Amino acid sequence: MYPTLHIPDGFLAPQVALAAWIATSVVVGISLRRLNATGRDTSSLTILMGISGAFIFAAQMFNFPVAAGTSGHLLGGVLAGFLLGPWAGTLVMTTVIGIQALLFQDGGLLALGANAFNMGVIGTLGGTLVARGLAATLGGSRAATAFSIGVAAWLSVMAAAGLTTLQLGLSGTTDVSIGLPVMLGTHALIGIGEALISVAALSFIAISAPDLYSSSSSAPAASPARRLVSGIGIAAAIAALASLFASASPDGLMKVAEQLGLLEQSRAPTFELFPGYTVPGLDGPASTAVAGVVGIAAVAALLFALGKFASRRNGA
Amino acid sequence: MLHQATQRDARAAILATLGTTLGVALLPAGSYLAYLVVWLGVVTVGAAAGIAPLTLARRGFIALPFVLAAAPLIFIRADELIWSGVLGPLSLSVSGAGLRIFLSAAIKSWISVQVALVLLHRYPIESIVGSLRALKLPDALATGAGLTIRYLDLLRGEAIRMLRARASRSASPVGVGGERIGGSISWRAKVTGNLAGALFLRAYARAGRVEEAATARGASGSLSLGALRNPDPRFALKSLLALAALVVTMAIGAAAPRF
Repeated sequence: MYPTLHIPDGFLAPQVALAAWIATSVVVGISLRRLNATGRDTSSLTILMGISGAFIFAAQMFNFPVAAGTSGHLLGGVLAGFLLGPWAGTLVMTTVIGIQALLFQDGGLLALGANAFNMGVIGTLGGTLVARGLAATLGGSRAATAFSIGVAAWLSVMAAAGLTTLQLGLSGTTDVSIGLPVMLGTHALIGIGEALISVAALSFIAISAPDLYSSSSSAPAASPARRLVSGIGIAAAIAALASLFASASPDGLMKVAEQLGLLEQSRAPTFELFPGYTVPGLDGPASTAVAGVVGIAAVAALLFALGKFASRRNGA
Repeated sequence: MLHQATQRDARAAILATLGTTLGVALLPAGSYLAYLVVWLGVVTVGAAAGIAPLTLARRGFIALPFVLAAAPLIFIRADELIWSGVLGPLSLSVSGAGLRIFLSAAIKSWISVQVALVLLHRYPIESIVGSLRALKLPDALATGAGLTIRYLDLLRGEAIRMLRARASRSASPVGVGGERIGGSISWRAKVTGNLAGALFLRAYARAGRVEEAATARGASGSLSLGALRNPDPRFALKSLLALAALVVTMAIGAAAPRF
């Protein structure tokens, strides 16, 4: 079993904890300003936020078995962000993480800035913006929205796990080369549970309270250019995360080919742009991640060009 | 104004808790004697607040699973080797530097949890939230935290009843005889998501009723839930104790030998 995402005190270097506190405070300040600028009745929104915090606590009790000995349960960042809006959702999750540290010692007081940043800011604000951006990119239908929430919920868990490990690595209390694959590998499964529960919860709300769902999902429509940029950004983030799992071992087909001696008979191409899915001159996982992002950008550019070509043919 | 006033001023205690926690974090790795002195100070304050040292020490282990994050350093770091050998198929070495980081992080975490426990034992959470508001925590966060705490038990009770209902309607993880019942993983995830969605709708409806009740009682504008009614006049003086806690902890760390 590997640690949860709530970092206790003693594991973060004071400089790292301080930097995370500053980053979280800035985003919380922006969230408060954005909340006041919405023009909504702040007292009714505050009541909803406060009771939603209690909801997040309670909803985290809902678990279901995934495999022997492991169970999935809701973290709720993307769900809160989608239902309450990204800024209010961020404040709710930050409050919940603060109460977890104060009341249940689940995470440290000095580490609170880092925990709130990883799960409240990146997990909720980032996750909700990804969900909305992806939903707009895919056309905004209910199915597209559900898919986007699932992807964003998975990404939010993975991003929080990755950031937690990197902060521990910066503090010198873990080895990132071991911790990152373990944390991301474990949380890839936890993220699937988060995605499934988030999608099911929102689907239930969409059926039971369509007005509430409509008001939550009615984000301003994005322009085609913005959709494209957000789509490429989301794909790049997924590619970069997925590339961290890229194994140095040969895949199944290559292994069979190696055993049959076919690999030696095959000829190497005369020119390789990204040999072995790496960028020449860059080493390690970063090289694979950059190659993945460049690959996605190239495919997106090709699809964009094909789309333009198709619309011109349509108009002709 | 909706007003739930709290009677006890925890501002100085909160500052002292943060000061001590920061002091512990700043203690150098391997200062085991300093850790012992600081821990004795914490359990002394805890005993004065009515918590037995062994109870406090035992409850401090809540963060213990997290030490797994630092455990690989013992075997991965190549500096200050204190043992190397073969254990079955494994060739292992133990690094003194890795062991020092591991033990230091574990002990600091253990002490910090106990510091927070003393604060929580001495002051009710409502007083802590009210005092945080008095320490300039933004209104939306303070009121939100106050409402979250107030409705926590209610919504947890709802969640427990929903889980009990799920258990009696076949979506339970394991049956009475230990057999697995219910559908596929995706079906169970859907049922769990449905519960979460239903609970959110109840929370949403509850928020509407709370707002109606507040309006009916004449509430308007800011809801200063958890406001501090009786601020301690000796707050400034007591705050110096918080600073002193930090300085003393750092001084102990500087003076104590390292291993």
